[in-house]
Amino acid sequence: MTLFTKVGCEKCEYVKERVDLAALGVAVEELGPENPDALAHLAWHGLVNVAERNLPILVLEDSNYLTGAVRIRKYLEGLEGQAA
Amino acid sequence: MGEVMELNRGGPVPRDSDATDRVLFVRTSDMEIVNWDRSRIVEALVRETFLDRDTAERVAEAVDQMIHRSRIQVLTAPLIRELVDAKLIEMGLESARRMHTRLGMPLYDVEELLVAPNKENANVPHGPEATNLTLAENIKKEYALLAVFSQEVADAHMRGDLHLHDLGFIDRPYCSGQSLEYLKKFGLNLPNSLANARPAKHPEVLLAHMVKFSAALQSNFAGAIGWDAVNLFFAPYLEGLPDRDVEQLAQMLIFEYSQQAVARGGQAIFSDINLYWEVPKHFQDVPAIGPGGEYTGKTYGDYEKEAQRFLWKLFDVYAEGDASGRPFFFPKPLVHITEKFFQTEGHERFLHRICEVAAEKGNTYFVFDRGDTAKISECCRLAFKLEKSDLEDAKQPWRMRYSALQNVTLNLPRIAYRAGGDDTRLFQQLTEMMELAAQAHLQKKAFIERLLSQGERGPLSLLTMNRDGQPYLRMHRVSYLLGMVGLNEMIKIHTGQELHDSEDAFRFGLKVIAHMKLTADKLARKHDMHFVLEQTPAESTAYRFAKLDLKYYSPAAGSAVRGDVSRGEVYYTNSTQLHVGSPTNPVDRVRLEGLFHPLIEAGAITHLWLGEERPHPESLARFVVKIFRNTHNDQVAFSPEFTTCVACARTSRGLSETCPHCGSDDVEGITRITGYFTKISSWNKGKIGELHDRQRTAGYFSDAPSAGAGAAEA
Repeated sequence: MTLFTKVGCEKCEYVKERVDLAALGVAVEELGPENPDALAHLAWHGLVNVAERNLPILVLEDSNYLTGAVRIRKYLEGLEGQAA
Repeated sequence: MGEVMELNRGGPVPRDSDATDRVLFVRTSDMEIVNWDRSRIVEALVRETFLDRDTAERVAEAVDQMIHRSRIQVLTAPLIRELVDAKLIEMGLESARRMHTRLGMPLYDVEELLVAPNKENANVPHGPEATNLTLAENIKKEYALLAVFSQEVADAHMRGDLHLHDLGFIDRPYCSGQSLEYLKKFGLNLPNSLANARPAKHPEVLLAHMVKFSAALQSNFAGAIGWDAVNLFFAPYLEGLPDRDVEQLAQMLIFEYSQQAVARGGQAIFSDINLYWEVPKHFQDVPAIGPGGEYTGKTYGDYEKEAQRFLWKLFDVYAEGDASGRPFFFPKPLVHITEKFFQTEGHERFLHRICEVAAEKGNTYFVFDRGDTAKISECCRLAFKLEKSDLEDAKQPWRMRYSALQNVTLNLPRIAYRAGGDDTRLFQQLTEMMELAAQAHLQKKAFIERLLSQGERGPLSLLTMNRDGQPYLRMHRVSYLLGMVGLNEMIKIHTGQELHDSEDAFRFGLKVIAHMKLTADKLARKHDMHFVLEQTPAESTAYRFAKLDLKYYSPAAGSAVRGDVSRGEVYYTNSTQLHVGSPTNPVDRVRLEGLFHPLIEAGAITHLWLGEERPHPESLARFVVKIFRNTHNDQVAFSPEFTTCVACARTSRGLSETCPHCGSDDVEGITRITGYFTKISSWNKGKIGELHDRQRTAGYFSDAPSAGAGAAEA
């Protein structure tokens, strides 16, 4: 799974602060002017336009995605629960 | 000597006289014969260069001696200037020589031009007016490279590191998109016009204004002239008109544009009409302007039915084609597919109709505006994405006029040759080349601003006219295009695989374009200019780059360029597209190419080459809906091929050596070259090479509505 975020995005911070992303194996990709890899990865998933309006984005293993900080947090917490 | 002059030996010449005894005459550019006077060289050097008078005197004296010593029987103006320039080089005065350069063409080239067709742009026919255009363009190109751009930029163009488009039109912006509302509100009221017209009271007059204004704009822009929401903005003029009259108007509109071969150099106006089945959200509540420039008391939302009626009639005309059944080359109909399209009554039937036209004639361009996006599209793929402020302009639609000032295209394969497989060098060179392209834009901007500063008495008076509180060309809103050619070959040179070969290769391609987008954004912030990526149509650039790379980067280039090297029919793949010959099915092509499109703000397109195939409209319609729903592709066009017979004037499907109707071999092939239809005989060699390689959809779009499995899978 990959969480797309960017600097200065409060909702992105909200997720990062509340979920142990590393423990869940979620890679964090920070979009920014110096990171073409992240943008290319975002484009590969067809999410460039989505990211213009909504961040963070969580791309799931099956390439589906979730937006909305609370929704993402709940989804990841659910996974944490399963793991526990 | 500042003016061009010709110098002949004149008068009776005694047999035994020395050449220096003879009287020399000069034919000036003012068509006057005057005595040879070397002081005119001095005057020219002082006026045109930074040389001081003493140095100029020394140069003139040396040239004078050279002329008198020579046994030349006829001296011409170019030769005199060459002699002066040679002397300047000899004396180490290089910068003066540069400033003293004479622009023009060799006799041989002019003769070639007058008797051989121009193949740089297939939209320029051959004829006296066209050769006038080309001659002028050649001088302006030279001027641009010497006087507008820095030597670094000019050399990069000459070497083929990048391509400065439309150098022959250096004194105008690249292209423009506008609104009929401007004409409806202000009439045809142009600077320097011999007669001004009030706002049109009748639809056919509005059409006349539109076509004439397009011709005027064509004289002030290098490329495409686009019009927004044409069917909607005509609608208030059509209320109460019988169907037959609306049909006639539709026919007039298309024929007027497609037969404008009397315009610039015999070149048809590269025209685009943006069309909507629905009333776009941003025009829904806008007060409508009707006959005489008066508000009708209704909003455009009230004109949906009239707009649809006109739109339907336009496609009836496209479906029929011209008198020989050929597809119309211009104006290109760009139909916007939006979320609202699918909520608007009758959209299924209309979609079927435009797919029928796409299948039969290929005219329809499907432009996908997803979410809240709104665009004006034009040229081969250029689009102006409407931002918040633009949508604010929509309340006064006459303000909605957009322009790109210039297009600079990078030769991506060349960057790969130079990088030698090293990623760091590849991206570093890409950045450097984009920075150089930005310099080119700054230099062109400075030049255009210099012309614009002369206002309505200057050479760009049309663009400075101020009818609504701001100049027609809104410089603060213009875009600066950064294009690319040959991503596919760049990836192949760098990774050994083409874009369609593997996911790794494709994702590396995405990284290259992502890097370009981020660099464009940085340049935009740095210079406070709207730098955006565009898929360059590259009608001649893809050929030029391939030729130059074969010259400078062989043997590596020998296996990288596409086409037939032995015949000189070489090219690179356009922009970010998959190679035209890749065995990728249409669904995957549309989907994969579409992944690049959100990174390319100023427009992208996927071409599907139908060849002889005549898809069932339902099959295409299903495909189009799925493109909208399931991909990120911005624009798709389907391109059939035709053979039109000069002898019997009939048109048949596919490319044939002879006419299937009468057997004549006097036939012309027609299909899309890049973003428009044209005769294949006018194509450059690179495009001919590409045509041979194109993978046709052959059988993919089944004739049976229930089949078309591939189309259903998009």
